[in-house]
Amino acid sequence: MRASVLQENLAHGLSIVSRAVSPRSTLPVLANILVATDEGRLRLSATNLELGITCWIGAKIHEEGSTTVPARTFTDLVGTLSESHVDMALDVRTQTLNLRCGASNNDLKCIDSQEFPPISVEDLSDGLEINVADLKEMIHQVAFAASTDEARPILTGVLIKINNDKITMAAADGFRLSVRYAPLSSSASLPISAVIPARALSELARIVEDGDQTVTMTMPPGRGRVVFQLQNAELVSQLIEGSFPDYEQIIPHSYETRAVLSTSAFLKACKQAEIFAREGSRIARLKIEPGDELEPGTVEIQGQSEETGSSENVVDATIEGTKLLIAFNVGFLREVLDVINTPNVALETSADTSPGVIRPVEAEGEHGEFIHVIMPMHLGS
Amino acid sequence: MPIHILPPEVASQIAAGEVVERPASVVKELVENSLDAGSNSVTITVEDAGKRLIEVADDGCGIPIDQLSLAVERHATNKLDGPEDLHCIASLGFRGEALASIGSVARLTLTSRTTDTDLGANLQVEGGHASRVLPLGSPAGTVVRVENLFYNVPARLKFLKHDQTERRAIDKLVTRYSLAYPLVRFSLHQDGRLALQTSGNGNRREILGTIYGVEIARQLIEVISEDDWIQVLGFTSPTSLTRSSRRELTFFVNGRPVKDAALSAAVIKAYHTLLMVNRYPITILFLKMPPEMVDVNVHPTKAEVRFREPDRIFSSVQRAVRRALLAHSPVPNLEFQPHWSDGAAWGEPHTIDPTWGWRDIENQRKEGGAIPEGSSPTPGSQSPPITKSGLGAQPAPLLRPVGQVASTYLVAEGPDGLYLIDQHAAHERVLFERVMKQRDSSIPSQILLQPVAIDLPPYETRLLQEQLDILGKIGFQVELFGHNSFLVRAVPAILENHDPAASLRLLVEDFEEDETPLQAELEARIIARICKRAAIKAGKNLSPEEQRALLTDLEACQSPRTCPHGRPTMIHLSVDLLERQFGRRGSR
Repeated sequence: MRASVLQENLAHGLSIVSRAVSPRSTLPVLANILVATDEGRLRLSATNLELGITCWIGAKIHEEGSTTVPARTFTDLVGTLSESHVDMALDVRTQTLNLRCGASNNDLKCIDSQEFPPISVEDLSDGLEINVADLKEMIHQVAFAASTDEARPILTGVLIKINNDKITMAAADGFRLSVRYAPLSSSASLPISAVIPARALSELARIVEDGDQTVTMTMPPGRGRVVFQLQNAELVSQLIEGSFPDYEQIIPHSYETRAVLSTSAFLKACKQAEIFAREGSRIARLKIEPGDELEPGTVEIQGQSEETGSSENVVDATIEGTKLLIAFNVGFLREVLDVINTPNVALETSADTSPGVIRPVEAEGEHGEFIHVIMPMHLGS
Repeated sequence: MPIHILPPEVASQIAAGEVVERPASVVKELVENSLDAGSNSVTITVEDAGKRLIEVADDGCGIPIDQLSLAVERHATNKLDGPEDLHCIASLGFRGEALASIGSVARLTLTSRTTDTDLGANLQVEGGHASRVLPLGSPAGTVVRVENLFYNVPARLKFLKHDQTERRAIDKLVTRYSLAYPLVRFSLHQDGRLALQTSGNGNRREILGTIYGVEIARQLIEVISEDDWIQVLGFTSPTSLTRSSRRELTFFVNGRPVKDAALSAAVIKAYHTLLMVNRYPITILFLKMPPEMVDVNVHPTKAEVRFREPDRIFSSVQRAVRRALLAHSPVPNLEFQPHWSDGAAWGEPHTIDPTWGWRDIENQRKEGGAIPEGSSPTPGSQSPPITKSGLGAQPAPLLRPVGQVASTYLVAEGPDGLYLIDQHAAHERVLFERVMKQRDSSIPSQILLQPVAIDLPPYETRLLQEQLDILGKIGFQVELFGHNSFLVRAVPAILENHDPAASLRLLVEDFEEDETPLQAELEARIIARICKRAAIKAGKNLSPEEQRALLTDLEACQSPRTCPHGRPTMIHLSVDLLERQFGRRGSR
């Protein structure tokens, strides 16, 4: 293999695929990045067998070929090369990749590309196009609610449901649930329902670029995996098997108390409460107090711990319904408020033991696309 | 008071004390009689934990009318003839004491009919005095009713344990016998509730299902081994299925449940190197051997036996379990020593003594005479080199994290040398003190998005039911949901990152019978177990920030030097020791 690429393209490509490298695998080749010539471009691939990322970069190909290069050495080296042409030449017999750039001349010990897990070519004709901006925001608003506990694999994933021209993502970790809907530009031929690892989606959100308008999602039937195609990159992830909790049943349909308040003020109050509460129970106590003709309603957010002290914040709010005292895990509150981008947010609940529902308050005409449910905490008697 | 012979009532009450300790022992004696009578079906009815009523009805051979009044006499039995029989006991009972003993501490009603007569008979014994035998129509077999147990021994009554505990003991006893006699149909009713029912179709796994739940019963590995004189049958758990105590090791010798530390040791030995420390298998073994090989006349309740050739029996048991286990073991290359016959062969394993390094140092110190014998060490200058900081109340030194070893221990520098800290034990201590502090006000609990259902075997169901209040206090919200099922609605906030069902299951496994009656101590114990579960595990990589945070938290603890279970959290290597080891300070 002989090829010539721009240093910045190579560095960028490596930064995309290197997240799928598994440095501590028992299979040494998984710590490497596959470099292969592919129809006038250079293909970089990495996989940890659950998640695979491939990226194509422009290159001048002098001689076809492929090898796998140790990821750490490769990325560290390329990052320090000067911004000019990088010439690559592979000695097939010794599997040594020579990398020249300006005055720098380097030989890297590689592993034969035969040992790299084969990347099967799927039939991607049946793909579904999703708007990149929508997808990124959906992932941003949902993936954080997935569990990190490997003991319950299904909850470490994000449910993706596609029905006609509507896409839904949902994630839950046992204590909270995040659901986001979005319209699709084209409608799907068949309804889809699959659980994708939250980590894979977060990586997807990271690698989509400004230039990308749409992502094509394909789930080849019976293969247990999903493929996301971008203009110059591709992400393949295993699906998680199992049945996802019936999330629709969890979302309450009514409320006794509804507070509408400024998202930023609420978020700031939660951050302050968390400074105190994080040492102890991580509880934020919310005192929801309806107003009268003269005074506006308020929500008082309070956090405390034995060691550090306590903090109280009063945020003005429009309150519908009765007054209520309720407690939540302050970290959960902060995380959801962080991903809400409307100026106002609504908190709906019925009692101190019933779920709290948080929704962005949309402008006129728009309808609810994001719903977050947090279960309250309570202090034992 | 002059010496005199005790009146017979007193003597019999004293003797009864040995045989009839508690309601469960009455059930045991009566069930054994039924089994000795060759019954196919045994029905047990218990009311008020056995204090009001214990009734055992069977369809066995029955007692002829003319022998009925003899049956309730002391030392009256049909199971033994002469002293030579005592060495070769094939029946469960033989002492001829049961009915007489029970009759002296309760009201006993004996109704029986043999299969070859049409008319049965009935006899009552109260306080040791038998009534006249009355002919009576009755079904074939024997029905023994024991009412008002211990009515004339108030001391015994007072010392009975909690009703729940007594009920559980009866449950456990009957399930054991039903396992040992799978061809006999057992049914047990406690206070009108059907507590156990077996079909008598010989399928032991089915019975195991009713005890441990279907899931566990399915996983148990069958043990089958037989040689010319001993037969070992039964079930044992795969290495993935373990318990925190030896409670689930059950042995039957010739159909008799026995407790034997050596048999337990043999089973545990069979699991050697396969199980984690302090984890024990679930094992049910049925040993069958010629009756002359075992002496059951050791203990009035026959819970203990003596073997004529203990070594041979232990090696047979161990070999049988090990073989069954290896046949199912997912780990292929375990070393298997085929000859266990002599005691030494199943002796020491290939484990590396974890303290080898330190022992060497200690030996050197002794041999090299680093500390002159006899001279009293001056405090400070000659602190012992390795302080396994056992003193709980001692405050932690100020620690600067240096790094992590084996993803398990933190290395830290203190004012007087090097400290090795067990991250799991340390975190356990931190969480424990945090929760105990919260307990003064209230322990926060996180409600689940969806309640999680868990199924427990009946035995654990009872245990959990008893502790529901305490669990509620420490943040679990659990409610009974049908037969042997529970719904978990909320978990303590510190268990937030753990599977709620798995956490509760583990907690229940650790519950023991007769937990300390002191509420506060029990709570602390359960909290300690929760913290053990919530604490970071050995093998987890910690970032420098996490290491620092853990050390800071540990410093703030009141007794930072041990985990709540009493294991040390830190080991200290003094500067003094280091210097000596590096030869900077020679032997003085």
